[in-house]
Order: sequence, then C-alpha cells, then structure tokens
Amino acid sequence: MSNNKRITLQQAAEIIKNGSTLTFSGFTIWRRPMAIIYELIRQQRTGLHLIEVNGGSHTEFLVGAGCVGIWESCWVGHELYGKYGANLSRKVGSKEIIVEDYSHAEMMFRFAAGAAGAPYAATQSSLGTDLHNPEYDMLGRAGLRDGKRIPRHKYVFTEDPFYDAGSLVLVPAAKVDIAVICVQQVGEEGTVRVNGQYYSDPEAVRTADITIVMAEEIVPEEYLRRNADQNTIAGFEVNHILECPFGAHPTGMFGRYDVDGAFLKDFYGRTRSQEGFDDFAREWIHGHDQMSYLEKLGWPRMLGLKANTALNYSSRTKKGGK
Amino acid sequence: MSDYALPEEYGLADLLCCAASREVQENEIVFAGTGLPMVAIMLAQKTHAPNLKLIFEAGTLDGRPPELPTSVGDARCEMGASRSSGLYDAFSIAQRGYVDLGFLGGAEVDQYGNVNTTCIGDYLNPELRLTGSGGNPDINSFAGRTVFIMVHEKRRFVENVSYITSPGWRVKKWPGGEFVHRRELYGAAFRGGPSAVISTAGVFRFDEESGLMYLDTCHPGKNPEEIRGMCRFDLDISRVKGETEVPTREELRIIHEVLDPDGIFIPRVNKA
Repeated sequence: MSNNKRITLQQAAEIIKNGSTLTFSGFTIWRRPMAIIYELIRQQRTGLHLIEVNGGSHTEFLVGAGCVGIWESCWVGHELYGKYGANLSRKVGSKEIIVEDYSHAEMMFRFAAGAAGAPYAATQSSLGTDLHNPEYDMLGRAGLRDGKRIPRHKYVFTEDPFYDAGSLVLVPAAKVDIAVICVQQVGEEGTVRVNGQYYSDPEAVRTADITIVMAEEIVPEEYLRRNADQNTIAGFEVNHILECPFGAHPTGMFGRYDVDGAFLKDFYGRTRSQEGFDDFAREWIHGHDQMSYLEKLGWPRMLGLKANTALNYSSRTKKGGK
Repeated sequence: MSDYALPEEYGLADLLCCAASREVQENEIVFAGTGLPMVAIMLAQKTHAPNLKLIFEAGTLDGRPPELPTSVGDARCEMGASRSSGLYDAFSIAQRGYVDLGFLGGAEVDQYGNVNTTCIGDYLNPELRLTGSGGNPDINSFAGRTVFIMVHEKRRFVENVSYITSPGWRVKKWPGGEFVHRRELYGAAFRGGPSAVISTAGVFRFDEESGLMYLDTCHPGKNPEEIRGMCRFDLDISRVKGETEVPTREELRIIHEVLDPDGIFIPRVNKA
C-alpha cells in the first residue's frame, strides 16, 4: 500500500494530458476544483473532452481559454451571477467546440452506470424532446463514435421488456480518464469526507480511471476512520491528493466559504468576447500561482466569504454579488 | 383572502410570485429551482401550504432554508433538511414518482407547452446558444404538474419552438419526429405535464386532450385580445376566467420582509 499520494498543483495538472477525458466534483458554482483549472490554463492544455453531470464556472474558464474540444453535459452558466455560458456559446457559434447535449438526469444516470461498471442505463426522462433527435448526434456527425471511449450511439430507443412500461431510452455509461475533485477533507490514504450535499461526486470518482482529490486540508487518515459512516469516498478509489486552501474560489464550499458572486459577475460581464476573456486571464491566471492569486484577492475579501461554522455559509456575503 | 394590495403597492414580479405560489397545494412535494420560483414556494409554505416538502436538484430532501439560497447547490438549502445527499437521489426520487409539482423557466414556449432553453435558431447553426437543458426536461417528465414562469414577448410564444428542450403535451416521437400526444409516448410513466404558464401578461393552461394552450386569466391592465396579439400562434381565449388574483398585503409583507429583504429576486416596488 502506497501512502504517498501527495502531489503538487503543477503535478496534478500534468497528469491531465491534451485530449484527456475529464470530469469534476461539485454543482454549477459549488466545489469546483478551480486551482487545478487555473493551472491547466497556465499549462495551455488543449483538446480536453469534458463529460460532466452539469457544467458551471469552471467549464467557462476552460472553454474560454481554448482548452476544450468536446463538452458533453446539460447546462452551463453561473446561476444568479451570469445567466448563460457566454464562452461556450461563442465557441459553439464559431464551431470551435463540439457540444453533446443530454438532460441532467440522463447525465446523472450515465455516471451511475459508469460508476457501477454497467454499460448503460435505461430511463423514461426527456421522451419526445429534441435531445433525442437523431439529427443532433454531434459526436456521430463528427465521426467520433468509436465504441471505445465514445459510445457507439448517443441513445438507443427501446421498449420496457420486463413490465411493459412503454418507451425507454438507453443512455451509455460515462467513460472518464480523470476525475478532479475538490472537497473539504481528505486523509493521507485518500479517504474523502464531503460535508454538505455530495452532488454527483461519488459517481464521478468511481467512473474515472484516475482520481485526483484537492482538499481544503489533508487530515490524519486515522481521524476520518474514527467515523467511517461520515465518509463519502473510500481511500482506495483515490490515486492522488493535494492540499490547497481556497482551491474552489470563486466557487463556494459548504462549511468553508461562499460563492464569490462579485468575482463571477465580473468574469461573466468581461468574457463575452475572446479579447475580454484573454484580458481576464492575464489579470487573474497567467503569471500567477495560487498564493499570488489569493494575495491579489486579499484577506478582507476572503474573510467576507468565510462561512459561519454554525450555519455553514457566510452571514456577511451579499448574495446578489453587489 | 381579502386585503388585496392596490395597484401601486406591488410590482409585476410580486404578481408572478403570488400567482406561482397559488399553484402549490398543501402537502405536495415540490421540486424547486432557484430565483423567483423559490420565493414563490417559500411564500406558499408560509401561507396556505405549511406542510409542503422541498426537494432541491443538487441533493437536499425536504430542506427548510432559513434564508433564500442563491442556487440549489447552496449550503443554505440544507438547513433543517431531512436529508442531504446528491443528484442521484434527487433524480431517482423524481423518476420514482414522488414529485407532485415542479417550477421551471424557458426562453421559448410553444402552443403545446414545449419549452426551449437550449438555443435560438437552428440547433446545428445556432444564432445563440443558451444554458442547455439542466433538469428542465427531467422534472417535466417526472412530476405530476409543472408550472413555467416566463417573460412574455411575442418572439417567445411561438407555434413551434426551435428546439424542444422540455416536453409539453404534444411531443416528437423518435426516430421519425412526428408529433404525438405525450400520453402515448410516456406510457406507464405518464403522470401529467405542464399545468400552467405564468407569463408577464397572464396565466395560461392546457387542454389535456388537444394539448393546446389557452388563456386562463389576464394580469391587471391586460385584455384577452391584446394577449392573443402577443403570441405567434392562434391562442384560445374562449375560456378566460377573468383577472389574475393580485397579491395581498400579507403576501407582500412576507416576500419583502421575510423571504427576500434584499430584493435579490423580487425587487421592492415603492410607487406610493
């Protein structure tokens, strides 16, 4: 058993190669592994295939920076702080990126199948919609359905063979090279404790071949094992760990800090154009490391986001991001 | 209910919020999105439906947030919850048939209640790519009823949406794409469909047999002919019941003093 799972932020990004298939922890603007996202942008990764239950601010950063070739998911935006994904929208328009649309539940069930080692899942969601329109099979149109990492079909239409429930769609299991997860605590052997909603993190980890966990803190493994019922992911499912406080900023982390709405609003407002994105990246990403990024944000800002430990959210943050 | 507010005491967002709140029935399990629908549901909880149960898509079951969450992933959702889990639980519970009502939004709606949140224009060459489906089609497939809250513009109320993100009463049967009644396609999984569209002009409902939208009530200051003129299809205005019920002073107090004191989702109107 190797206890030495610790790596650095730079090494985490280096594990991810051009063309890797990635998924992430979190939900829209919560618990996204932003410090690693920034490092991938600094290292100018290209051709990434993102397959995620839902997208969010991290998707917009990677897409804006030109790191992404394929995005399979259901939603991208910044919630209250930016109503749609302007970078993805721009690159869909210019055909710089392939988007494969599924519904949210379909994506979740694709990951549940992937996590269980099943080839597909069956669902009665979204019947009758253009999600199921055979003309809109974008990976098929691009000739990328090799039946290996990318499934042979986007959907298969069938009927319930067991209970005569009627029409069904089969959705293919997700296949993922690397899951990049951002959580509150990880033990030295990789045991993960997520506080708050765990979103689709357990399925993301189990689906992926390699899992990198970036935590607010690395804690003694023995501490987590004292209350195993409170743990979310078993240590042997995790390959690499690193400690990176505030690594999810500007997204939020239950019990630790709120979403930095003002930051996301600024990002959304400034990155409608490629020039705007490049300018934002010069200011906040390139030429920085995580420490200088935090230094630029400054203590007063971070203290304002810091969660009240009884409430698990900040009682000081203005939710409107004003 | 009496104590109705005067026209100068409320704004359009208040009217929509109260109309949405009235769609909620006591003891229902409600799938909650963020924004105005969340305020509406919490308003129902504090008025006529104290035992409603909230499910948040990100994984909170029966959450009782003490203040408005900014999104369903928010730590605020989980305060007082029966269980905090993940999306697999939330969607499994929905597919299993627990959910009575869901509130949704959209960029375009058509005469059958099909909704588009994916793109404006041709999907293969879009004029504008939008957010994508999110859980809109899932909630609309699984819930007993769904209610859509939308800005009313003629370009948004169309004969056929450019992309069916979320299924209405007459939907496409694949692989051919011919329109069929939702009941035919969903079989044993059929539980209902869109029950109301609350726009900034009025409240619309659906004839479940024909699948067609009709005007139910007009918001104060609007008349049926005017609203028909705000649709790109021949809206049925033969079943109009009258005017949309306006907010009460008590509802306005709860919205602005208790639920959204900072005016994040429902701006405070101060016309007086």
